[in-house]
Amino acid sequence: MNEEELKALNVDKSVDARGTACPGPLLAAKKAIAEISSGQIMEVLSADEGTRKDIPKWAAKKGHEYLGTAEDSGYFKIYMKKG
Amino acid sequence: MAKMTMGLGTSSIDKLISAGVILSGAAADDMEVDVFVLVNAGHAFLKNKAADISNMSEDIQTPEEFKASLEKLNTPSWIEFFEMAKELTEVKINICSLAGKIAGGEKMEDFIDLVDDICGIGEYIESVQEADVNLFI
Repeated sequence: MNEEELKALNVDKSVDARGTACPGPLLAAKKAIAEISSGQIMEVLSADEGTRKDIPKWAAKKGHEYLGTAEDSGYFKIYMKKG
Repeated sequence: MAKMTMGLGTSSIDKLISAGVILSGAAADDMEVDVFVLVNAGHAFLKNKAADISNMSEDIQTPEEFKASLEKLNTPSWIEFFEMAKELTEVKINICSLAGKIAGGEKMEDFIDLVDDICGIGEYIESVQEADVNLFI
């Protein structure tokens, strides 16, 4: 998905992990995805560069669909659909 | 469920945080983890010492500088890292009886609540043989 498509998604769960360094965002994502149902969309906000690679890999490994990453000023949003 | 064993042989705060970060990653990946507290690591798990651990394994930073770096990054304490990992996956903390005795703890009540069991080295070796990966810190 391109950035416009990502930003137009109806997000079911938003996790703001901008205040934490690795592994904070990954743990926040792990906790939050348990709170949504299969097929729902989650976004994770992070400014941590390690997270940029970690979360898409983690999502794919755990059977979720990584939809893409959108840039914002000073942080990025990672989108996924729960598997 | 993939399994990791971790031999933890130090009470240095930087190594405890390292162990906590690795445990977090393992927890995110739903791994089962057996931690074995060996030799000098016993001190960190004592009720009267755990929260005050500040010694560093090397002098690249002073304990105060290290603490300030962690606070600036909103990093949890080593105990919080271990607690979070235990909440998210199957983590068992075993105190090797020698490590306990070196630190002055012999019974479960001498140790913080994170600790699940006191064991001998045989149990560590048995667990290592069943594990997909073993780390020594």
